[in-house]
Amino acid sequence: MKYRITHITKYSYSDPAPVCHNQVHLAPRALPGQTCDEFRLLVTPTPSHRGNRADYFGNRIDYFAIDEPHVGLTVTAQSLLSVTSPPTAPMDDSTPWETVAHSLKRPMSPETLAAAQFVFPSHHIPYDKLLSDYALTSFSAGAPVVAACQDLTRRIHTDFRYDPKATNVNTPVHDVMLRRAGVCQDFAHLQIAMLRTLGLAARYVSGYLRTMPPPGKPRLIGADASHAWLSVFCGPQGWVDFDPTNNVIPSSDHITLAWGRDYADVCPIQGVFVGGGSHSMTISVDVNPLGET
Amino acid sequence: MSQSQSQSSSSPVSPAATNVRPSLLTSYASPTGTFDEARLPNGTLREPWNKLIRQLDQLGTNELIDRWATAERLVHENGIAYSAFGTPSEAARPWQLDPLPLLIREAEWQNVAAGLQQRAALLEALLADLFGPQTLLTNGVLPPDFVHLHPGFRLPYHRHKATSQNYLQCYAADLARATDGSWWVLGDRTEAPSGLGFALENRVVLSAMLPNIFRESHVQRLAPFFISLREALRSLAPKRKENPRIVMLSQGPGNRNYFEDAYLSRYLGYTLAEGADLSVRSNQVMLKTLGGLLPVEVLLRRPNSEDCDPLELNGFSQLGATGLLQAVRSRTVAVANAFGSGLAESPIVMAFLPRLCQALFGEDLKIPGVATWWCGEASSLTHVLANLGKLVIKPAFRQRGGERQLVKELQELPLEQLAERIKANPRHYVGQERITRSSIPRWDNGNVQTAFVALRAFAVYANGAHHVLPGGLARTFGSSESLELSLASGEGSKDTWILADKPVEHVTLLSPHKHALQLRRGGMDLPSRVADNVFWLGRLVERAEASARLLRTVVTRLTSETGSSTLVEMPLLIRALVDNGQIEPGFAVEGIKQQLPSFERSLPAMVQDASHPGSLRSILDEVFRVASKVRDRISIDSWRIMVRIDEAFRPPDQHCDLADLLTMINELLIDLAAFSGMVMESMTRTEVFRFLDLGRRLERAVQTVQLVNSCFVDSGKIPGELLEAILEIGDSLMTYRARYHADLQLAPVLDLLLTDDTNPRSLAFQLEAIEQHVISLPRYECQVGYSSEQRLAMTMLHTVRMADMEAISELYHLGNQEQLERILIDLDTKLPVLSNAISHRYLIHIGPSRQMNDIELHIE
Repeated sequence: MKYRITHITKYSYSDPAPVCHNQVHLAPRALPGQTCDEFRLLVTPTPSHRGNRADYFGNRIDYFAIDEPHVGLTVTAQSLLSVTSPPTAPMDDSTPWETVAHSLKRPMSPETLAAAQFVFPSHHIPYDKLLSDYALTSFSAGAPVVAACQDLTRRIHTDFRYDPKATNVNTPVHDVMLRRAGVCQDFAHLQIAMLRTLGLAARYVSGYLRTMPPPGKPRLIGADASHAWLSVFCGPQGWVDFDPTNNVIPSSDHITLAWGRDYADVCPIQGVFVGGGSHSMTISVDVNPLGET
Repeated sequence: MSQSQSQSSSSPVSPAATNVRPSLLTSYASPTGTFDEARLPNGTLREPWNKLIRQLDQLGTNELIDRWATAERLVHENGIAYSAFGTPSEAARPWQLDPLPLLIREAEWQNVAAGLQQRAALLEALLADLFGPQTLLTNGVLPPDFVHLHPGFRLPYHRHKATSQNYLQCYAADLARATDGSWWVLGDRTEAPSGLGFALENRVVLSAMLPNIFRESHVQRLAPFFISLREALRSLAPKRKENPRIVMLSQGPGNRNYFEDAYLSRYLGYTLAEGADLSVRSNQVMLKTLGGLLPVEVLLRRPNSEDCDPLELNGFSQLGATGLLQAVRSRTVAVANAFGSGLAESPIVMAFLPRLCQALFGEDLKIPGVATWWCGEASSLTHVLANLGKLVIKPAFRQRGGERQLVKELQELPLEQLAERIKANPRHYVGQERITRSSIPRWDNGNVQTAFVALRAFAVYANGAHHVLPGGLARTFGSSESLELSLASGEGSKDTWILADKPVEHVTLLSPHKHALQLRRGGMDLPSRVADNVFWLGRLVERAEASARLLRTVVTRLTSETGSSTLVEMPLLIRALVDNGQIEPGFAVEGIKQQLPSFERSLPAMVQDASHPGSLRSILDEVFRVASKVRDRISIDSWRIMVRIDEAFRPPDQHCDLADLLTMINELLIDLAAFSGMVMESMTRTEVFRFLDLGRRLERAVQTVQLVNSCFVDSGKIPGELLEAILEIGDSLMTYRARYHADLQLAPVLDLLLTDDTNPRSLAFQLEAIEQHVISLPRYECQVGYSSEQRLAMTMLHTVRMADMEAISELYHLGNQEQLERILIDLDTKLPVLSNAISHRYLIHIGPSRQMNDIELHIE
């Protein structure tokens, strides 16, 4: 599937801000099933300085700074890319989850070593006993890891209410668990946290969903905005994505921007500014399918 | 140095004398079970101590006490007491210096230094690997927990490409001697090691106190180390710039390291800056100065790594500069120590160091570290749990600043609870062997006591090698507990003497450079924040002087034999005190004569009332507070005067009467004059001087206008006594008498106070100086015509110059005060406007930075 994506973020301030510095994770990652043909980042007013680099996980970071007083900032990310559906992960004959967890304890191969860092707690995801109890229902002894993860994805989708008013960016996972409500970021954090308490490696994926569903299919939650889901290390099957917000295994409707240990690593736009008085922000995302490749 | 001492030290010691036990250490009892620095187990003195104690004995205890008193005074005045705002009343030099140094012979020290060099190189290699290829993890030398559980491992520190910059320009280690006399490392400091300033200060004080003994002992000099440090930082500059701008990034006066920062930056010749003084523009770190933004090439960093860039790291910190990390990646600036270097100072590192040394260098550690077990390994956990009572339990990952409290908390837990705590989270704890530190004599006001000593040693990486400071900061403790725990038992500090066998070469930091410096004038580097503080220091010092002069005139009259109630000028002088804000307004009303007795009684207390904003005491508190913020900008002598002023102007005891007050005011005025003289004679005419003097002139103008206003407007008939009092306050009585003898009249008094531009106390003189300063302030090149500050200054000067004092006085005597009043009101309005205009143009900062993520951002 080919997509044209336009992601516009607008800030406006009541007083001029003399300086601002920003870094953004808005460029789609190059992946086996995902090729980015074009990426453009437009910033107004024109930055005095800009550049890009790869972060620790290999995601592209664009950074820029504005040195002159400004009362607004518009960041427009435009990408043109093609996505193919990944091969479906074998569900029932995947490795038992304990075997995967064990391999991460004493990582021997470069793959398990690279995965092992996603077992550790991170900024938004501390260890929490409450979570492992919930998760264990899906992870019976010897359960195949992919099937168990998918069962957990399904249960979160069923047991948790999608409610943008229930949480904000800084709501701890623990509170999400107690409230049984949240948004995609919360569900991704929640499932990652559960898997990590079991000793599995799970990472946070930031990206988009296609805006208009294919004919006859329901419109998915999280279109018209940034979306988030997770990816789990499943041993020989490698990394498999799960979207607890929509109870699906992402395929060609999901576009991956970046991954990290949690939201803090891949926040779409980060910035520090001086002055500015009171301020507001609007976001719009348009994921426009251009047809099959 | 007394005559007898210098003679006897060169004369051969008679055989009889060697049998006499040196007296200084007679009362010193070396404890059993430790290595004693001074005595051998058989009770005789070790060799270097034998010589030192003999030399000290020749000086005699009394001479030593005298000299020590002088040295302590020096320590005190230099402002080693570095509490938050340098308030000496809360004097808080954390390490009381004592005159008995720690003595180490060169041969022994060379082994220690070699061990430290190896250790620094090892930690350097560790950091380069963990923030780079991480082969130590892939090879299984270190468990993944080592980095991924470490709060100091932040992703932005990671280097994709190997860069030439080392992590550890500065390295420090805490050392102690075990019972067999061998040295052990207790801990490493790699983030931003502190203590170097104290080591230097201790040396300066002690070598000044015992110059001959110091010289004869062949003590190795510290200066070469600091030359290496400067070279280390200079060579970091991007593109190897020859004369880079090096700035010490301090955590500011609120931090406990501030004294050191100020002391070291002055010694090394670097600008002392805080986060608010820096700004990253077009990927280049800039210092905000009066002359505009100036590029900074090297930062000597004191805040923790994570506090240095709110964009990529701790978003709430104001200690660094937004965009700093990217500037470092782009190599427009270098930071020492490199970001992330604090990772190596965690206790968990010590558990792996012997293995690391084998894995990386194929050798054993040359200087052992205290045995450490990381509870994340099963066998270590078992060992720690089995020996819980014998070990010190520490968090495996060090959070700089918070460790002491945590270790103490763990220490106080009952053993069962401690075991539970460790078992619940074994990977977060280490157990460490307890080290009994060596004992050493500590001098305490003529008595010698037993203390236990730890030594902080320093190394700097320059020209491809780690250079170890021949010396260090010796810290002494009343107990032999672990470093984190023994703070409460009282800390002291000592100079450390590395004793060479032959005389050492004298080196100074002033040694010639390879390349000649380009001559420079002026001080474009002055951060706006400093200019602001200096401006206010000028205003406050002048305010203190004006207040003290007015007060003295009042107190002199109250204590005169005439009796205050008969003095006709008294009501107006008291009104001036009220207008000046020095006392509560209650006293200004009619019938002051009845209130005089109570006024006299309560005046000393009112003057000392620090809670009343206009009182002389609170003005002096402000003076001191502001002065301590710019301590690095005023000379050491000027600072000493500041300390003196702050200390001397305090009531001698509970009962302070008017006579005491008068004495204190007189002394204060002399000190203030000394400060002004110091400023006039010693301060280079740079922007610092300009803003200081501008502040003074403005304040003096404000005070003069106010005084004339209080005494002459709405005051009825002017008695000659009042004129005399006003001349006295305005320090112009002598001039008046020389010109007009005893005949006191209004017109010449007003002329002398307001319009006589030859009198440095007159209003006209202040306005002329202000105009000159304002003209010379840095200006934007594109600006056309006069600035608003210039126009204001010129208008006021014109008003005063055009005022005809004879005509005004004549009208005044006829009952028409309007003309005088109009001029005074005009000036009274414009002076604050001028002050604000200067602040707006040069001094006001842009506000603190904010996170964009504070703006509600919701991902659906």
